[in-house]
Amino acid sequence: MTAHISEDTHFTPWELYWQGWRARLGQVRSMWRKFRRNPLGVIGLTLIIIFALMVIAHPLLMETAWRPSLYDPYLGFDSSIPMHPSPPSFTHFFGTDGMGRDVFSQLLFGARMSFTVGLTAAIIAVTLSTILGGMAGYFGGVIDLLLMGITDVFVLLPALVIMLIIGLLVRLDWFLIALIFGVLTGLGSQAIVVKSQTLSISSKPYIEAALTAGGGHLHVLWKHIFPSLMPLALVHAVMTVVGAVLTESLLSFFSRTHDYMTWGSMIMLGQRTFRWFGLGRQWNALIPPAISIMLFCSAFYLVGRALDDIVNPRLRNR
Amino acid sequence: MSRFIFRRVIRGVIAIITFQTLLFFLIQALPYDFTAFLVLEPTSRRLAQSDLGLNLPLWQQYLTWLGGFFRLDLGRSFLAWPTPVTTVLMGRAPRTLVLFLMAAVLAYVFGIWLGKLIAWRRGGFFEFSVTLAGVASYTSFAPFLGFLMITLFGWTLRWFPFHSMVDHNIWYRESVTIDWVLIRMVITIVIILLCFWMLSWIAGQYKYRKWRQLLKWGGGLLILGGAALWWKQLGYLHLAIDVFDHMMLPMASVILLSFGETMLLMRTTMLETIEDEYVLTARAKGLSERTIRDHHVARNAFLPVLSRLLLNLPLVLTGSLAIELVFQWQAMGELIFVAIDFQDIPLLLGILSIVGVMALIGHIILDILHVYLDPRQRFAERSIS
Repeated sequence: MTAHISEDTHFTPWELYWQGWRARLGQVRSMWRKFRRNPLGVIGLTLIIIFALMVIAHPLLMETAWRPSLYDPYLGFDSSIPMHPSPPSFTHFFGTDGMGRDVFSQLLFGARMSFTVGLTAAIIAVTLSTILGGMAGYFGGVIDLLLMGITDVFVLLPALVIMLIIGLLVRLDWFLIALIFGVLTGLGSQAIVVKSQTLSISSKPYIEAALTAGGGHLHVLWKHIFPSLMPLALVHAVMTVVGAVLTESLLSFFSRTHDYMTWGSMIMLGQRTFRWFGLGRQWNALIPPAISIMLFCSAFYLVGRALDDIVNPRLRNR
Repeated sequence: MSRFIFRRVIRGVIAIITFQTLLFFLIQALPYDFTAFLVLEPTSRRLAQSDLGLNLPLWQQYLTWLGGFFRLDLGRSFLAWPTPVTTVLMGRAPRTLVLFLMAAVLAYVFGIWLGKLIAWRRGGFFEFSVTLAGVASYTSFAPFLGFLMITLFGWTLRWFPFHSMVDHNIWYRESVTIDWVLIRMVITIVIILLCFWMLSWIAGQYKYRKWRQLLKWGGGLLILGGAALWWKQLGYLHLAIDVFDHMMLPMASVILLSFGETMLLMRTTMLETIEDEYVLTARAKGLSERTIRDHHVARNAFLPVLSRLLLNLPLVLTGSLAIELVFQWQAMGELIFVAIDFQDIPLLLGILSIVGVMALIGHIILDILHVYLDPRQRFAERSIS
């Protein structure tokens, strides 16, 4: 008589898929439970949500409440005001800049630019560093030597100077900045950290079990190594955003970019008409973008640190 | 071990050659050359090109440059023709060093001290506010921070001068140049720092805290006074004070921009070591909290912070473009801008190669140190934040 196998232990592929996602969701939920206890991380996340709302608000306002000829961040001009730059009023929350453009509209538009540059750079950097560092740590040997040779070079290149040179060669726009920054950090310093993390993962027994069960190298990399690197990748992504936004703002401040309107170029234009006190006192074109850059980068930095506290095994439960 | 060092150095040499090849062809890909910026008729321009060696085939220029680099000859600067690049850089180096060496050391000391405090008093309002302030100053936009300093302390309160490096009303009758004084200032600062380090080592030998404190503070004041007297004897004290006066605002900006990183790294590494067994042993021995903090936990948390400093030091040369621009501190950053805009290839390659070589040496030393200290861990595990 054969042993009866319970129907409960047999899963259809769809159920297996669903259970995998449920396990991942549980991981995220436990991470969120730890994250919630860190007040600084929560402050950072709140700030990020506020900036995201700003990004959403700009096109909506342009469609509904704001007339494009008045409020366009680049071409708008308010002819009802006799002298520009003008102080804050009800029609212009942060006043207008020296060319008669609404500063609040520019600020909202700049938030979109910062998010785009930062997140693009983060995705590029994390993808490259995970693939490169993961492969170097997992395979070792000649592949490790070759990939680390690439890392050795990229860790020496200063991003800002490289972008200044490339800016003379081609039109430097947000995508190029994000690409260069992402490649330089992803193939540089991040790959080293990811590789050392991969070394400790790939010596764990479940990797050997997967290989013994007949899994190929690509399968192990894709199903076991890369998912284990995801928490670290998240931390790296958040930290890359800070560097990318600061670099982009600096380049815009040096007026070396061809972007529509960013916080950096707002500061560059605002400092020309800036006065603290006295006649023509005007702070409103300079202070909002500068504070925005600081808050934006601080928010991502704080979230990154809070995630690092969760992800870093040596800091857990302390 | 020697095998590992040998392989690491070989890897480093290959990396630096690749780095220079990349940079050389990147700069050569720009549409003009240096002679396009001189107003010349075609014949004279061709003559100038042949003078500068720009008419040679690309591979020949490249090999000339690379061969020169390994003989420590960085070529001649186009802008300051025919001055060698090394001379130009040596002239500018004291200007960068006198500002950023002091700023780096002060930010480092300040950051470690604050990091120790916030790691020890975990979870209170103090840690919350200090961390927030550190992150805010670390992520603030460098030109804006400089701008704030200038308007607040320079323009409104008029505490410090805020542009250029010196006051020409004082310097015009002197027989010495700025760089001449600056290079002596750098040497003096290094000597003073060494004296401080020795003093703190000597003071550490004394058992009683009161004696230690007395020795530290009294000796420190004595060293500073001695240095001031020595400069007074030389007759350049007022010039040094003038340079310091002009240095205050940029130095404060650099410190504010960089102390946060050290502070947060110190906190992280201290939290990693704070629950080890030897800390419990020290508590059981009845040592004071202060002694445990300073002599047991902080000392072991020191190495990652030191390694971060070693990696970041070369970046000081290129990372401070904005501060130098805002405060009109005519040092390396200005040179980089000019070299890029006028395509002064030897000058730009020289600066970047020196920065690259210094960074590479830092990396190699760190890798070797890590293997030397912990043979299990062949690869440096560098923590974030």
